[in-house]
Amino acid sequence: MHKKMAFSFPDEVLEHVFSFIQSDKDRNAVSMVCKSWYEIERWCRRKVFVGNCYAVSPRMVIRRFPEFRSIELKGKPHFADFNLVPDGWGGYVFPWIAEMAGAYPWLEEIRLKRMVVTDESLELIAKSFKNFKVLVLSSCEGFSTDGLAAIAASCKNLKELDLRDCEVDDLSAHWLSHFPETYTSLVSLNISCLGSDEASFSALERLVHRCTNLKTLRLNRAVPLDKIANILRHAPQLVEFGTGTYTADVRPDVYSDLAGVLSSCKELKSLSGFWDVIPDYLPAIYPVCSKLTSLNLSYATIQSPDLIKLVSHCPNLQRLLVLDYIEDSGLEVLASSCKDLQELRVFPSDPFGAEPNVSLTEQGLVAVSLGCPKLQSVLYFCRRMSNEALVTIARSRPNFTRFRLCIIEPKTADYLTLEPLDVGFGAIVQYCKDLRRLSLSGLLTDRVFEYIGTYAKKLEMLSVAFAGDSDLGLHHVLSGCESLRKLEIRDCPFGDKALLANAAKLETMRSLWMSSCAVSFAACKLLGQKMPRLNVEVIDERGPPDSRPENCPVDKLYIYRSIAGPRFDMPPFVWTMDEDSGLRLS
Amino acid sequence: MELQLGLALPTPNMLKGFDLNNHGLDQLKEMGGLEAWNKAAGCFADKDCVKSKRSFEQAFGNFTEECRTKPLLLWSGQPNEEEDHKDQKKATFSTTDENDAEEDDQVVGWPPIKTWRKKIFQQQQQPRVGRAENNRVAENENGRSIYVKVKMEGVAITRKIDIKVYHSYQSLTNSLITMFTKDKKCNEDDYILTYQDKEGDWLIAGDIPWQNFVRSVQRMEIVKNWG
Repeated sequence: MHKKMAFSFPDEVLEHVFSFIQSDKDRNAVSMVCKSWYEIERWCRRKVFVGNCYAVSPRMVIRRFPEFRSIELKGKPHFADFNLVPDGWGGYVFPWIAEMAGAYPWLEEIRLKRMVVTDESLELIAKSFKNFKVLVLSSCEGFSTDGLAAIAASCKNLKELDLRDCEVDDLSAHWLSHFPETYTSLVSLNISCLGSDEASFSALERLVHRCTNLKTLRLNRAVPLDKIANILRHAPQLVEFGTGTYTADVRPDVYSDLAGVLSSCKELKSLSGFWDVIPDYLPAIYPVCSKLTSLNLSYATIQSPDLIKLVSHCPNLQRLLVLDYIEDSGLEVLASSCKDLQELRVFPSDPFGAEPNVSLTEQGLVAVSLGCPKLQSVLYFCRRMSNEALVTIARSRPNFTRFRLCIIEPKTADYLTLEPLDVGFGAIVQYCKDLRRLSLSGLLTDRVFEYIGTYAKKLEMLSVAFAGDSDLGLHHVLSGCESLRKLEIRDCPFGDKALLANAAKLETMRSLWMSSCAVSFAACKLLGQKMPRLNVEVIDERGPPDSRPENCPVDKLYIYRSIAGPRFDMPPFVWTMDEDSGLRLS
Repeated sequence: MELQLGLALPTPNMLKGFDLNNHGLDQLKEMGGLEAWNKAAGCFADKDCVKSKRSFEQAFGNFTEECRTKPLLLWSGQPNEEEDHKDQKKATFSTTDENDAEEDDQVVGWPPIKTWRKKIFQQQQQPRVGRAENNRVAENENGRSIYVKVKMEGVAITRKIDIKVYHSYQSLTNSLITMFTKDKKCNEDDYILTYQDKEGDWLIAGDIPWQNFVRSVQRMEIVKNWG
C-alpha cells in the first residue's frame, strides 16, 4: 500500500502542475524530489537562470534543459561596477550564443548582466533566433550601435530592447532606422545609456508612432526637451518614461506643449532621465505626479526646495532614486508625504569632496525609516552615522530586506561617541530578520561580524570594506550566515585561517571576492588543490604570484563553485589554482 | 550611554571545529585538514612545517604580524576587554595607506559608485585644470552647468550651486534665501550677497548685468550688512 504519489500521476499532469512553478529556486527544489520529477522538470523548464556564467558550461545547460526559451546569465563579480575588476577579466557571452544558436533556433529571451557582448554576438543572435523577443543587457560592454542595427533589422518579433547601464560604442544614431517600417511589436525600449549627440529623432518618432503597444520608453541624454512633446504625443499609453536632457531656454510654448502632452499620458507610473534639469520646467510633470510609483531623479542636480516641491506632489511613490541635494529636510517631507515608499536610494552629489556640500546626515535616513512603514530597501550615501541612529532605524523598520549604507570616508566612527558602529549594524541584523542584502561601512571591528554571524540567518549577500580586525571576523560570517550566497570583501585584515577553516562553506555559496586582504598565495594554492569543485582565481596585475614568496598576500581573489572546471579564457593577469597548481601556473 | 542589546556571546557549540587558542591547528587536524594537506600538497618551503605548531605560524603567519587573533577571552564568556579592542584597531592590516599615497587621496573604487554614474558627475562637474584654488568648481564644455561655491557667514556648510539654472539676481537670491534659512534664521535685509570676480576682487552682487555676472563670478559669500 506504499504507492508513491509521484508515480500515480501521468507525466503530462505533473508537467502541467510544474508549469505554474516559475521561480528558479522552486524549480530547483522540484527537480531534487526524485529522479522522475527531475526528468519531467528538465523537459519543461522554459526559463533558465545561471547566476555565474562560469559555474556551468553552455553545453551542460543545453543537455539538461532541452527546451528552454529564456536564459539569464551573469558574468563579472559585482565589484566590477567599481573598477576593481581589470578589463579583459572575462565574462564573454559569445560561447553561449554560439552553442545556443546551433541547438535552439526557438530561443526567445536573453538577459545578461555584467557580460562582454560583442557585435559579433549580437549579429549571431539576430541571425539565429527567428522568434527572438527580449534582449536585456544590464551593465554590459563590448558592443557598438552596429550590433544594435543588426538586431533592429532582423528581429521582426522583438518586444523588448533594454540597454540599462551599458557601455556602448556609439558609432551612429542611425541604427534606429534599421527597424523596418513594417515593424510594430516594440513594447519596451531603454536606450538611456547611449551617448550620441547626433540623434535620429525622426526615426525615433516614427518608431514610437507605429509601435502602438509601447509601454516603456527611456530616452538618452541627447534627446532635447523640445523634442519630447513630439515623441510623447504618439505614445499616450506609456507606463514608463525616461526623458532626455531636461533643460532648454525657458519658452512658454515649449513648456505648455510639454505639460499638455504629459497630462494626456494617463497610464504613466514611472519617470526617469532628467539630466541637466532646469527647475522652471519641473512643474510640467506635476499633473502626472499623483499616479507616479517610481521616480528616478538621480541625475537631477536640482536643489532641495525644488525636490521637496516635486516629492510633495507624489503621494503614491513607491520607489525614489535621488541625489543628496534632497537633504535631511527633503527626506523629512518625503517621510510625511509618501507613505507607500518601499525603496529609497540617495546618491552623493560630490563623492570626492573633502567637505560636505549638502546638509544630508543620518537624520534623513532616520526620518524616512520612522515615517515610511513599507520601506524595505535602502541605499544611502552619507558622511556621518551613529549607533543610536542605526538602532532607531532597526527598531522602527524591522521589515528591511536590503540595507546598504555607505559612509563616504572609510573607517568613520560613530560621530557622537567615537565608538565603532558595531552595535548599530548589530541592531540592524538582529531586528531585521528578513534581511537578504547588507553593505557595511564606517569603523567596524570583529564584533560586528559576530553579530552578523549570530543573527543574519537569511542574509544572502554581504559587502564589506575597510572593516574588521582579524580572521575571527571572516570566520563569524562564514560559519554563521546559513543563507550566504555572495560575499565580497575589500581592504580587510582577513587572511588564510578563516578561509581554510571554512573551505567547505565556499561550495555552498555562489562566489567569494577578496581584494587587498591578507590571503596568501600558498593558501590559494591549497584551496585550489583540495577543493576541485571550486575555481580559485588569483588576479594580480603585478605579475605571476609565484614570483613572490608564497606567504605574500595576493592582490585579488575570486572563488566560485563550478561544475565546469577551470576556465580557459583568462587574461594574463588571472591565474587559476587547480589540482596541478603546485606544478604549473596558467 | 550604554546600548544594551542583550546579545549573548557565541556558545562553544557554534565554535565547533574552530578554537583560536591554538590558532586553529588542533581543530584543523581533527577535520583531517592541515597535516593531511601538508603531506599531500608538499608546497611549503619549510620542510619542518608538518611537525610543529610553530611552523604553521612560520608558513602562514610571517607577514601577518599585525593580524594576531584574540585568543581565549572572547570565547569563554568573560567580559569584553575594551582596551584590547582598541589595540586591535591600531594593529589592523591595511593596504589602503599605500594606495592613498599613490592615488591622490582617492582609493580605487571608493566610494562604491558605478563607473557610468561617476562619468555623469565628471561631465557635470569638471574641475578646471591649472587653477590654484578650485573656486569655480566646474564648467561644462557645452556651458550646460557652472557650479559655484556659496558660503554664508556663520554657517559651516559651503554649498555649491549651478548658476546656469538662474536667470536673474532675484531668482538667485530667492533660492539662496530658501537654502540658507534652514541653517540660520535670518532677516533678508541683514545680509548682502558678495562675489569674487575673475580678477579676484570682491564685489557686491547686482551692479552689473546678469549675463556678465554669470560669466565672471568665481564664488559667492553672503555677509552681514553692517552698513
